[in-house]
Amino acid sequence: MVKELATDVLVVGAGPAGSMTAKWAAKNGARVLMIEKRQEIGSPVRCGEGMSKDWLKEVGITPGRWINVEVEGARIFSPSEKILEINEKSAGNEVGYVVERDGFDKALAIDAANAGAEVLLKTAATQVLKEGGRIVGVRAKQFGEPFEIRAAVTIGADGFESQVGRWAGLPTNLALRDMDSCLQYRMTNVDCDVRYCDFYLGKVAPGGYVWVFPKEKGLANVGIGVQLSKIQGMAEARKYLDDWIAKHPAYAKGRTIDVVGGGVSISKPVTQAAADGIMLVGDAARMIDPLTGGGIANGCIAGKICGEVAAEAVHLRTPTKEFFQKYEKGWRARLEEKLYRNWLAKEKLCSLSDETFDKIVDALQGVHLEKLTVHNILKAVHAKYPDVTREFEEFL
Amino acid sequence: MPGTPTAKKSRHIESSGQLCIYCGACVGVCPLNCIYLDETRITFDEKICTRCEICVKACPVGAIEIG
Repeated sequence: MVKELATDVLVVGAGPAGSMTAKWAAKNGARVLMIEKRQEIGSPVRCGEGMSKDWLKEVGITPGRWINVEVEGARIFSPSEKILEINEKSAGNEVGYVVERDGFDKALAIDAANAGAEVLLKTAATQVLKEGGRIVGVRAKQFGEPFEIRAAVTIGADGFESQVGRWAGLPTNLALRDMDSCLQYRMTNVDCDVRYCDFYLGKVAPGGYVWVFPKEKGLANVGIGVQLSKIQGMAEARKYLDDWIAKHPAYAKGRTIDVVGGGVSISKPVTQAAADGIMLVGDAARMIDPLTGGGIANGCIAGKICGEVAAEAVHLRTPTKEFFQKYEKGWRARLEEKLYRNWLAKEKLCSLSDETFDKIVDALQGVHLEKLTVHNILKAVHAKYPDVTREFEEFL
Repeated sequence: MPGTPTAKKSRHIESSGQLCIYCGACVGVCPLNCIYLDETRITFDEKICTRCEICVKACPVGAIEIG
């Protein structure tokens, strides 16, 4: 006889989106079980560790010891390395923290547990349980021992390599152009500026960018994302990153103390994130911002909505696709327009030549913009290079 | 047996343990969901794999080879 557990809400994956969902489902009165395949929440880290901060209050996260530095702004480096600075005043929310991601994930899991959620580590889902087309839990393994977990609502919060959504038949497959391959070194003995998160665009990283996120003076995450449709051979992410570092003495003198890799989706929002008995949240639902590659904020924002809807479905005994439209409407109202807009902007940026990119950033040198909007940027560019703005008519 | 019609299917796919950083990029991008990551072990279901090589491209460190 196979061991069997039962719960109201089962959350697969204890990343930020999973913990947020677990916390808000538990806070709203549901019995919650969150399972995590790793032995330690948050580790190993697969993240650049930069995040905005204006959304934290909305989802009930209090800044804690997981903050490494609070940056003043972001700097965008054009291919010839002219700089466009984006600060709090000009962009409102584009700046934030560089964080200790494993500490952040642990803090959120602690919040979820304190709200009443059970947590099982070393527990991997191996298949979903289906009954009459509805998902009713998962088959799982803890320390290699198989068992079943039955749940009224199953949440797939299992990240970029999500299995749960695929097993359930939800459309989360990615095309080559919808994904960046990423690699990052944590480097010490580098000359990073702790006031800024830096982004290098253009041919240095086809379809992506090189980032330098400062952890403290002399220590930074130096990473790259490259779009799969724009690369040819093997290990291109590593080649591009190593090339970039070799050409930048401030970093070439550094020593790597950690290597992090991973995939990031840069797709349009998915058409469906819920079905009978199941909802997907976070990277598993392709909620990553396709322009920045950031997934934490969106995962947490959607997680809160997902947890609330899951608890309500348990109370009303309505864990159906129809009822979960409440979740679909909720997360889409909050995130979908920006996801789509940023996907369009990303597509445009990826199509620019290095020359055009340089012209745009050059046109903005010394120009004071009250607010850094696409419209204001294009107006400034138009004044100096009217030929360039012709490419952007759809944005005006 | 390169060149024979069955050669493609018989090609072996594997991840080099020396290069692999177990990041899961290949798992997420596999269109047939036939790659499994278990802590520090990557396995490919060779019966399902069509050798489309998307994972080979996705791997940031070049650990996947189809021989």
